[in-house]
Amino acid sequence: MTSVTIHDPTLRDGQHAVRHQLGAAALRGYAEAADAARVPVVEVGHGNGLGASSLQVGRAAVSDDEMLSTVREALTTSRMGVFMLPGWGTSADLRKAVAHGADVLRIGVHCTETSLAERHLEFLRAEGAEAHCVLMMSHMATPAELAEHAANAVAYGAQAVGIMDSAGHFLPADVTERIGAIAGAVDVPVIFHGHNNLGMAVANSVAAATAGATIIDGCARGFGAGAGNAQLEVLVPVLERTGFPTGIDLYALLDAAEFAERELMPAPPVTGSLSIVSGLAGVFSGFKHQVLDRAERAGVDPRDVFFELGRRQAIAGQEDLIVDVVADLSTRKDGKAA
Amino acid sequence: MTVVDDTTGVTPGTVRPLSVAVIGTGAIGQDLVSKAHRSDVLECALVVGRNPRSAGLRYAAGLGCPTSADGIDAILAAPEAFDVVFDATNAMAHAEHWRLLEPLGTLLIDMTPSKIGQMVVPTVTGPQVPTVRNVNLVSCGGQASVPIAHALADAFDVTYIEVVSTVASTIAGRATRLNLDEYVATTQDALTAFSGVRDTKAVLNISPAVPPAPFRTAVHAVVPGADAEAVRGVVDAAAERVRAVQPGYEAVACAVNGDRVTVSLEVMAASEVLPPYAGNLDIINSAAVMVAEQHAARLSAVAWTGAGR
Repeated sequence: MTSVTIHDPTLRDGQHAVRHQLGAAALRGYAEAADAARVPVVEVGHGNGLGASSLQVGRAAVSDDEMLSTVREALTTSRMGVFMLPGWGTSADLRKAVAHGADVLRIGVHCTETSLAERHLEFLRAEGAEAHCVLMMSHMATPAELAEHAANAVAYGAQAVGIMDSAGHFLPADVTERIGAIAGAVDVPVIFHGHNNLGMAVANSVAAATAGATIIDGCARGFGAGAGNAQLEVLVPVLERTGFPTGIDLYALLDAAEFAERELMPAPPVTGSLSIVSGLAGVFSGFKHQVLDRAERAGVDPRDVFFELGRRQAIAGQEDLIVDVVADLSTRKDGKAA
Repeated sequence: MTVVDDTTGVTPGTVRPLSVAVIGTGAIGQDLVSKAHRSDVLECALVVGRNPRSAGLRYAAGLGCPTSADGIDAILAAPEAFDVVFDATNAMAHAEHWRLLEPLGTLLIDMTPSKIGQMVVPTVTGPQVPTVRNVNLVSCGGQASVPIAHALADAFDVTYIEVVSTVASTIAGRATRLNLDEYVATTQDALTAFSGVRDTKAVLNISPAVPPAPFRTAVHAVVPGADAEAVRGVVDAAAERVRAVQPGYEAVACAVNGDRVTVSLEVMAASEVLPPYAGNLDIINSAAVMVAEQHAARLSAVAWTGAGR
């Protein structure tokens, strides 16, 4: 049986759900719990990764340095992961993360922009770190384009490559097709990172594993942007029953999820109205808080804001478009998107 | 630093045309050739690339400009040094180009975010004479955001400035893609240099949207006690001054929420070679040509009065 390596971005993607406000005690506590469950990789950081604390996306409560040193100290067998978007973070941030003991460094680029990762992947390989490349907003590209860009990432030095369903837009058949295309184009492990906007995160992850992905992301209680990610403590036993061993201790994993629900989040993510429309519209669900805040102040329907953002093909990182869209909708008489 | 209304300071017919060379045949290089070709005071004397069959060299030749595929060697081999050389390559190559061209007395106008030369944003500094022979145009996001950052910091007590730009994938060439780290560092430095605000952050998004997304820059600022109406007035006045030389420049949104100010800027290109959404290239190239034209005016004035350089 093919085994699957679980990659756990609870302490990174979950930041989107709490406006990047996780404190050091929460980071330490969850990292210890995940380590006890033998979760292979525990990822930490601001929601948009290294160097991304900002007014545009949200300022983090804790600096990158403190996040990395806190989680590093808490891990004994689990490896520490970080995430970086070129243009948000730089090689200086990667160097710092390697010095802090990050084992797995993921470079994120939007679906067809792999060449943005060329220098950073080369840099990581020269540093001797494990370098991954993930293609975000992957619903914006065809399976053939994703396969081509995945192959480019491997040529630049990526030791694993895959896709993020950043908007939670995919259905299982979409995932099967895309992961199949990528797995056929590269000879390194393939990654899938799902979001639950349409209630498909676990089903999509199983489809990904079945189609050849061997690194699957999941978060405790699904803690992540918008409707959240694949719920880790559901994902793991479901993968095991499907026939993909993970090496994770179930009871300890359930304990970690209990800790997460108690200490990391006001409430577990639900697939609410805005998450559903952001999934349908193909918009990054991390926009949720800002859309809600600004739409409410301007008296426009936040669902219209999401559909209009989708029409404009807003990508993750383009939160500034929310201001324009809300202003445009509030000046239209009926308040409805065109 | 003062803002001036007339940022060109050049009157056609009074100025000796300067000989201009362009290194690089990507979208920036081609648009520079087109703008230099249109200028009354610049004469496109040589365009160099490395691929003899590149579209950029063909375009330049079509306008009647001499071309060469020998790169920097062709610039160095010219019998007489050029008055101005535009470097539209990448930040790493620029360091070498500067080393080779510095002894020739040429004004090198650097389109890359190398940060080697003196940073200029002509819509803010006006027809200032560069005191050095290597002038750096910062970045597209820098040219778009610095006028607003400068105006806000001039009028209010600003404690933090952050600039997030989005450019379309189709016009982000290989040099841009390789130079993201330099883009971030140089844009941040320029924001501090021109606004006096120490705490700055710069971000660049490359959008794969189809059809391509128009160039946008968001300027976020922390302005304690910000008054929405006063902020809007300062932003509109600053945008108006930029629009005098960059007609496609517009502040499309300005929101104040507590001490947080967010200004959205859009720049549409008005160029013979660039698509309308490529405002990022238009604004940095227009600035570069403005610097060259100011240099031409200065050299003419020097020749007229007989004063030494």
